[in-house]
Amino acid sequence: MTELEAGRAQALTPVRGGAALHRYRDVLIALIAFAVLASLPLFTGSKALLDFVIRCSAYGLFATSLNLLVGYTGLTSFGHGMFFGLGAYSFGLIMQKLGVPIPVAFVATLAITAMVAAIIGAICVRLKEIYFAFVTLAFQMLIHSTILSWASFTGGDQGLRGGIPRPAFLGIDLANHVHLYIASCALLILGLLAMRQIAQSPFGYTLRMIRDNAARASFLGIDVWRAKLTVFVLAALFASMGGMVMALFVSGAYPEFAYWTISGEGIFINMLGGVSTFLGPMVGTVLLLLLNDTVTRFTEYHGIVLGVVILFFALGLRKGLLDFVAEWFARRRDAGEGRHA
Amino acid sequence: MTRTRTPGISRRSTLALMGAGAMSLAAPWVARAQSKTIKIGMPTILSGRVAQLGTSSRNAVMLEVEKVNAAGGLAGRQIEMVIRDSKGQPQEAARVSRELVNTDGCELLIDAEASSGAFAVHEVARDLGVFCIHTNSETSALTADPKQHIPNAFRTARQGVHDSIVGGSYAAAIAKAKGLKKWATCSPDYAYGRDTTAEFTLYLKRFAPDVEIISESWPKLFQPDYTEVVTKILQAKPQALYSCLWGGDLTSYIDQANIYAMFGQMEVFAVNMADYTALTVVKNLPKGIHSGNRYIKTFPTTPENAAWGDAYKAKYNEYPTNWSWENATAVMLMAEAAKKANSADGKKIAETLKGLTIKCPFGADGTVTMRGDDHTLVGYAIGWGTTIPQEPYVPEVKAGDWKTIFELEAEWKKSKGYT
Repeated sequence: MTELEAGRAQALTPVRGGAALHRYRDVLIALIAFAVLASLPLFTGSKALLDFVIRCSAYGLFATSLNLLVGYTGLTSFGHGMFFGLGAYSFGLIMQKLGVPIPVAFVATLAITAMVAAIIGAICVRLKEIYFAFVTLAFQMLIHSTILSWASFTGGDQGLRGGIPRPAFLGIDLANHVHLYIASCALLILGLLAMRQIAQSPFGYTLRMIRDNAARASFLGIDVWRAKLTVFVLAALFASMGGMVMALFVSGAYPEFAYWTISGEGIFINMLGGVSTFLGPMVGTVLLLLLNDTVTRFTEYHGIVLGVVILFFALGLRKGLLDFVAEWFARRRDAGEGRHA
Repeated sequence: MTRTRTPGISRRSTLALMGAGAMSLAAPWVARAQSKTIKIGMPTILSGRVAQLGTSSRNAVMLEVEKVNAAGGLAGRQIEMVIRDSKGQPQEAARVSRELVNTDGCELLIDAEASSGAFAVHEVARDLGVFCIHTNSETSALTADPKQHIPNAFRTARQGVHDSIVGGSYAAAIAKAKGLKKWATCSPDYAYGRDTTAEFTLYLKRFAPDVEIISESWPKLFQPDYTEVVTKILQAKPQALYSCLWGGDLTSYIDQANIYAMFGQMEVFAVNMADYTALTVVKNLPKGIHSGNRYIKTFPTTPENAAWGDAYKAKYNEYPTNWSWENATAVMLMAEAAKKANSADGKKIAETLKGLTIKCPFGADGTVTMRGDDHTLVGYAIGWGTTIPQEPYVPEVKAGDWKTIFELEAEWKKSKGYT
């Protein structure tokens, strides 16, 4: 260890302690969030609200996992929806054809997703920017076409028919609406917490470095390809979890889940909520679903309304909502410090 | 005089506002308890490529609901329709249906979704136990497959296998009479296109065993350019062509094939031609295309059917579609069942609906029946005829024989392992 390094190591120690503190804080926030969400059915009998939170879980997991790629690593994937669809279909098919307990199907689906993501990722992450975006899109269309044409197995464009069986396990009966709701909340919170850990870990900072300057990261001895592939697979796993929640919610899986529009929605959610904060995509999810649900109640011209909202965010704010709020707070704080100084 | 009141909202008006707010919040519950209206939810496709069909479903339902309401409503309760767009996405169809039942308080559902959306709504009906009529999905499995069967769901749409049996026997008769042995097919590349074509050729070969399929084309759904498909078919030189392209795809196909004078070189059987959405849009409708009836006001040739088509046109300034009659039939059946059961309760309507036969302008013999054992509509007008370029477009339609349909359908169900 050189003198310089030793000095830096000393300087780093308190930061590490701070990281541990942050980690406990994150866990605490997650626990509180889960407690609040889980106690919601006690206060309200609104099934629509519970439905809304279940859908937020599915899309939230998906969009936040996309942000691991877009916001943290600088990999703009246009095909992330394929893992959402893959999760929904794998889970649905395993439950329908094999009739195994739900946790087994859950783990098996994650294993399948990891395998497929590793293969697709190995090809895609070598590419940069627009090439990466388009090759992921191509793979998405490949998976979508496979679902459509392999009708004897996947049901083609009619989707998985006949409902997904949901046998009870460990006293949890996902056919029960409240049980499904609590399970979705649990998956969402666990998923978010895990992704937060990834983002805040040294690996997460490696990703940020790759995003900002891949050549420098490479010169520092980081295997850029391997880091990108790892995050690609990890993000796929969480997207797949989102797909499973959606499959449980609609009790089926449909080719639309693997279509490019789902990826587009993911990108849109990230634009709405913002990619520079961890919870940006979650805010975006709530915003988009809220907008979608209220606007479709009143008009069939929802496309126009959503388009105007996109324009407002893209041209007006020029960033996502949470980015905007975070910057506003930062400016206020700086101004405040400036006054005190 | 001094002003004692500060400008702004006074306490009294605040209280009044709060009271009004509470009233308006409570109003739906009070209204639900007191009024006799019954809400019927209807998810359908009102935006995107097939919005025209969704709109025509809504139009037909509103036309019939007005009549039912004028006659006293559904077992004495006025119907209020809550119609919402699903954008043709199954997850949205599921969400919207759940919202209609759970939030808007709809007691019955008319599911005007196509293909995968209908299966998504079917799962909601299974989950919530709400009464549901599928009006647009022609996929046979929806009612034929016993795994799909639930006591509270019905279908008033035509069924793919019925169409194929009638089309196959009609085409076989012409094939035999004109000696058409070499056939080509050209259908959209998705489940409906593949299944319908397979079933059609199955029955065609059954009635005319020496028919041979020499060329198959599978253009993509919503494909804009059909040049390669048309030239491929022309090179194969078939004597006849079968196609189940529909809507905009069919009209662009015909417009493009016209350039190659294709329709003079072979007999064309296009099952989805005889629908006003296709007939009125094609630039030069060739004479002599064979087509199944979708909706046409001249078949069945009854005054009731013609009057219904004219009433629709008078109200909406366009002709009804295939989806229109299917949705109108759903309302007619529900109204009759509610009358018989003397109740608008979903369970009671479902019980009465089983095996119910009603008078209907779209019936082959003036009546249609909701078959009891698989909850699907039978006895509707089904037939084939040839086109002419102007109204009435398909002057003579040869009606299909329901006895044959029933026999072959039973056989088909057995072969699929459904019975």
